[in-house]
Amino acid sequence: MTGTVLAPLFVDALGEFFRPGTLSEVLLNGLSKAALYAMIASGLTLVFGLLGVLNFAHGSFTMLGAYLGGLVMVVLVGSATGDLARVLFFLVGTLVVFAAIGALGGAVEVGLIRQLYDRPPIYQILLTFGLALVLDEGARIVVAFYGLQPITDWRDALGTKPGFMAENLEVAGLTVAPLALFQIVFGVVTIGAVWLFLTRTRYGMVVRAGSEDDEMTAALGIDVNRVFTTVFALGSAVAGVAGMLLMWDPVWGASLPLAHETLLPAFVVVIVGGLGTFRGTVVAAGLVGLVDATMTWWFQNAITFTGLPEMMIFLVLVLTLIVRPQGLFGVEEVGGH
Amino acid sequence: MVAALALYPFVYALLVASPLGTEAETLLPRVDTMVGVFYFGLFAMSFDFVSGYTGYLSFGHAIFYGTGAYFVVLAANGQVPLLAPGTPFMLMLLLAGLLAVAIALAIGALSFRLSGVYFAMITLGFAQVAYVFVRGWDYVSENPKDGAAVSTDVHPDGFDVGIPWIDALNLEIGRLTGDTVEFLFVSLSGTEVSYYMVGLVVLVCYLAMQRLIHSPFGTVLLAIRENEERAEAVGYEPFQFKLAAFAISGFFAAVAGGLSGGYGRSVAPDSSMYFLVTGDALLASIIGGFGTLAGPLYGRLFDETVREFLSKRGSGGGLLPYLRDHLPASVIEADLVGGLTVGGAIETFLNGHASLYVGVIFVLFVLYVPNGLLGTVRDRLGGTVAKQLPDYLDRYRRD
Repeated sequence: MTGTVLAPLFVDALGEFFRPGTLSEVLLNGLSKAALYAMIASGLTLVFGLLGVLNFAHGSFTMLGAYLGGLVMVVLVGSATGDLARVLFFLVGTLVVFAAIGALGGAVEVGLIRQLYDRPPIYQILLTFGLALVLDEGARIVVAFYGLQPITDWRDALGTKPGFMAENLEVAGLTVAPLALFQIVFGVVTIGAVWLFLTRTRYGMVVRAGSEDDEMTAALGIDVNRVFTTVFALGSAVAGVAGMLLMWDPVWGASLPLAHETLLPAFVVVIVGGLGTFRGTVVAAGLVGLVDATMTWWFQNAITFTGLPEMMIFLVLVLTLIVRPQGLFGVEEVGGH
Repeated sequence: MVAALALYPFVYALLVASPLGTEAETLLPRVDTMVGVFYFGLFAMSFDFVSGYTGYLSFGHAIFYGTGAYFVVLAANGQVPLLAPGTPFMLMLLLAGLLAVAIALAIGALSFRLSGVYFAMITLGFAQVAYVFVRGWDYVSENPKDGAAVSTDVHPDGFDVGIPWIDALNLEIGRLTGDTVEFLFVSLSGTEVSYYMVGLVVLVCYLAMQRLIHSPFGTVLLAIRENEERAEAVGYEPFQFKLAAFAISGFFAAVAGGLSGGYGRSVAPDSSMYFLVTGDALLASIIGGFGTLAGPLYGRLFDETVREFLSKRGSGGGLLPYLRDHLPASVIEADLVGGLTVGGAIETFLNGHASLYVGVIFVLFVLYVPNGLLGTVRDRLGGTVAKQLPDYLDRYRRD
């Protein structure tokens, strides 16, 4: 309770924290979280930048991706399946999730969101919020129908993880979680692909032009509505794939609350980075991921206050908005300043 | 409408006792549910007061509701410094409201420098920090994740609604601990007394907010919603008006939270501070009518009615128990597809899944009825009286 008791404990913990073993573990953890946040948030920020819609149903796409990915894996993988085959099946599952969630996202844009572009932005928040309710409850019905626990992680899907990812590796005295490495690699590849798409392809140029000024882009003879649909589908698909990655992660797992657990940090990342800037989102994902991992470590080792990591994430959000309201890389005009 | 609500418990009791009793029980919300409609409706109104009238979406509004609920429960347990457990409930509500005003001023001073999506997000951020905080704060109770309950040792009585320190003008609320009333030929159960007393507080709060909305102050709020720059150009300082609206709305949200804490004698972080609580208020506001003060109450009534209709519980009616009682077993057991019976299908797809249908209705409202129930009715009436009539007259004149 008193300072005299706390201080040595704190110093001990500080010394423990700066050991290379701990630092590398925290760093790896943070980067894997950053990779996941970046994947989920990049879709959110692309959609906001281009369509001006803050998508509350984004987390639900991640959750659906986790379940769908889990389903593919459970169907394909038997107990005899080797590790390499499991990774290959995972890639197959990724494609399935990408296509399915992308199609769903496209349908949502065409069917629902398109009708609201000329209304005040608040209506798009409302619509996607309602959509999230429907998707979550729909998933709950299906999940409960097949006798799965909706709240806890889906065990069978977790069980399809290759054996080598389940245990930690010891490399030169440092503990390395292969799953975290896998997530980082996967995230970097995905983010890299989206970035290349945006900056190196003609279509990506159109998307960037549309974010800048959609009326001007339309005036140049480009079908902006179709670009909107594509970007919404792409963003949803990447979020779905991120969900597929989370399915193997015992910390997250495929479950219904996953929708909120991912939506809120993704919001924080998007706002901290600056709405509508892809670069800002990636940087902010790194920042939030590392803060999260650091605080998780402190919470587990030194400070007994549950929920500390989550609290820190939102404090980052609040502080950013106070100090630099447009976010790290944001432009003043975006988002109704 | 107030009269209709005042008679509701009698009408409900009459209908349930009538030959069509089971149907009435199935369709109508129970009186107990209605108490929840009242206090949550007040919260939704306070949410609408700032969000619907100034256009600033206060997405962290649950922080004020939670403040009220936690304040009342902690005060009743003697855990609030300088406040005895026996403090009159009305005074607790007032203090909870003032605490919320202080919080609202602090949050608002920082948040109203932003607008649009950023405003919604920063208020959400503040509320989530508070949510995570109370969820981990072991001062609240031994298991803060599940919240706290009013201890029967420290505070054995129900919470009094009425004029403080005058016993004759107080009635206790609560499901089990509430007062019962025998007066002439009328006898009211604890729940029914709570219905009236909670309803009374909500009515007073509603009238206060109504008064504010129709004052010059409320007009400035509308001006800010419609065109903030112009309001500023005319000479009003939008920041001060927005901050004042936020604080007032925080006050009433805390009163609503306090009522819920007093009636339920407990508080849990997930049903008071979480962002989905704000979501429920949003839902009620949109269905009832965004920017109409009474609308959110009707929205909540609608929401709760649907939820109870599709609830799993047998008491108070609901679709499934009703069908079980009234359809022949052969229909219930009949196969639809591959071993799925009719009863099973209802169980799977309807029961306890009201969120799905409320969500669908919500989406339809956003798309096609953006003014909500009350807003649309007002539009219709306004259209017939104020607009249609001159048009009709014009037409006749030309002839």
